[in-house]
Amino acid sequence: MKKPHTLAGTLLAALLLAGTAPHALADTKLRAFAGGSGQRPDLMRKLFDQYQQRNPGVTIEVETGGATSELQRQYLGTVLNAKDTSIDLFMIDIVNPAQYAGANWVEPLNAYVGEPAVALKPYLPAYAQANVIDGKVAAMPAFADAMFMYYRKDLLDKHKISEPKTWDELAAAAKKIQQAESDANLQGLSIQGAPIEGAVCTFLLPYWSQGKELNDASGRLTLDKDAAVKGINQWLSMVDQGVIKKNVAEVKTPDTVNEFKAGQVVFAINWGFAWDRFNSDKDSKVSGKVGVMPLPAVAGGKSATCLGGWQWSVSAFSKNKAEAAKLVKFLASPEASKFLAAEGSLLPTSLAVYQDADVLKAVPWFKDAGAVVAAGRSRPLSRDYGQVSDVIRTSVSAALARTKKPEEAVAEIESRLRRVMR
Amino acid sequence: MNALDRLRDPSDRTLAVLMLAPAFLLLALIVVYPIGRLLWNSFFDLRLSGGGEARFIGFENYLLVLTDKDFWNATRNTVLITLITVPGALVVGLALALLANLPFRRQWPVRLALLLPWALPLAFAGLIFAWFFHSEYGVVNDLARRLGGSAPRMWLLEPAFAFAAICLTIIWKTSSFMALILLAGLQMIPKSLYEAAEVDGASRWQQFWQITIPMLMPSIIVALIFRTITALQTFDIPYTMTKGGPGNATETLAMLIHKTTIDYLDVGYGSTLAVFMFLLSLVVTGFYLRRIGRNA
Repeated sequence: MKKPHTLAGTLLAALLLAGTAPHALADTKLRAFAGGSGQRPDLMRKLFDQYQQRNPGVTIEVETGGATSELQRQYLGTVLNAKDTSIDLFMIDIVNPAQYAGANWVEPLNAYVGEPAVALKPYLPAYAQANVIDGKVAAMPAFADAMFMYYRKDLLDKHKISEPKTWDELAAAAKKIQQAESDANLQGLSIQGAPIEGAVCTFLLPYWSQGKELNDASGRLTLDKDAAVKGINQWLSMVDQGVIKKNVAEVKTPDTVNEFKAGQVVFAINWGFAWDRFNSDKDSKVSGKVGVMPLPAVAGGKSATCLGGWQWSVSAFSKNKAEAAKLVKFLASPEASKFLAAEGSLLPTSLAVYQDADVLKAVPWFKDAGAVVAAGRSRPLSRDYGQVSDVIRTSVSAALARTKKPEEAVAEIESRLRRVMR
Repeated sequence: MNALDRLRDPSDRTLAVLMLAPAFLLLALIVVYPIGRLLWNSFFDLRLSGGGEARFIGFENYLLVLTDKDFWNATRNTVLITLITVPGALVVGLALALLANLPFRRQWPVRLALLLPWALPLAFAGLIFAWFFHSEYGVVNDLARRLGGSAPRMWLLEPAFAFAAICLTIIWKTSSFMALILLAGLQMIPKSLYEAAEVDGASRWQQFWQITIPMLMPSIIVALIFRTITALQTFDIPYTMTKGGPGNATETLAMLIHKTTIDYLDVGYGSTLAVFMFLLSLVVTGFYLRRIGRNA
């Protein structure tokens, strides 16, 4: 009874092997995680299609999920903690490479793309810095983002005001326009003070522009308390002057976008995506009237902006690391960057692409954007960025709500971050 | 009799064990295991943000909790919310139940009005009330302006007002659940009791205190148990209305656990906080159960 069974089994196995073996050797299936709509999985799919055409035998699946950076971090954290092999490469926020490399969740890419000094040379310094952890290339830049100072070009022209260079100049310019327009609904400046990620940048912008750093190269906290208090007071004095709304601690990113679009704001700080909303949305009242400029600095300081953007990493648990790294190299190439800029207005991570004629033809405002992104700074690099972000946004929002004095808020930030960033 | 024979011809005792086994197994799987695992995790330095294996640290997390200002703040907020919203919802719920129990010709609009807030998801109720209390677009400030012309108040940006707004929302949301349970209780009270009281010349007020309340007591206790336990777990409404702000003035214990475990990915410490919340629920439930025992 046993013999025919074994024979049939052997035959079946032989047949199966004969049928699948050649494919199994040539085919590589890669699974890429490209988060939510903000990471444009639709455009990434097109890039993957291009790659597949040039690399027969490679098939790429896209996995999406998690609307915000925080949700994506939570999801990937769970998958990678479980040493799951199903995802080969994934997109992470600029604030995350330190955590992922620290946790050994990502494959160092030096062996595939070269040493950091060479591999990341074409990119803007902030991306080169954020993606290299302890001399290892933890990720390669996918596309950039930054906070921009948008302004009403028409109103500044009408009142013969040039682009302000300092926050005080901006406050004066905004007040002048507000008074001259005598429109009670017209805000001078819109910033985000609600306890969201945007509030972290709201805290850092005036702080950085004083030439101060929040952390040193090893990630340790280097908070200058006086400068931090001065930064928060800068915003509060603008609230007192009527330039910023009193309820600033309620304002979230979409509020700024909607109010600027409705023509109720002279100056607004927001991410790169807002440009398209201001100019292309059907209900926008400011289409064609929007200017963009580097963020002002405190008097005597230097302009600084908060950098965003996304990176591609190879999972340390992938079974196809070499193929995945090859794909990442393509995704971080100038060619892919040009495609994303022209098709989706996604900001390039290397200065050369900003000056590319084809790119400028498709998105002319990138001419002004390059300088802003180049001056960008990344938020603190920490393994526990979730906690760092929460501490800053909660305290800053409370200070902007005047529930806490700026000194109290900064003392709280310092005592809490000292534990996290050591 | 060997084991096989015992299975073929089970005694009553064996049969009982066999019949109960699946239920016990299920209970062990869905209640005992998660609680056991929670306790187990609380003795570890277990961070999902990576950078090392879980490390056994004994009672270190527990000692940390005792000196954690955020924990005490969240516990204080949770207890305050419970102390304010449970009696609040009971009073409002009782009034609603009495109203719904009146002999209306058409009962359904009243019953529907009772059911609606209960049927709304908590997070949705929180979002609606966050809009009501919004300093610029909110209906509350608009009403205040129309009535007295007062300056707009930033309800959700001032700790005391934000707390009050949250309590009000919770009472609005939960009183209909109270009312539903109390209404069922009210309808169980025999009409003959009121008729007899009427004959004896008892006033409405006396009838309420001498008949309605005592007869309703079992329903009140059941409603209080449910409401208190859910009040200790308050999360959705403050999360959607204030995210715990301004600062952490309205952060509850459940929100702190969520933040520690999900945002900070610190599972060890988050589990320890959850153990404390579990103990708090246990103490309160124990108190109620003893009361019921005494009443019985």
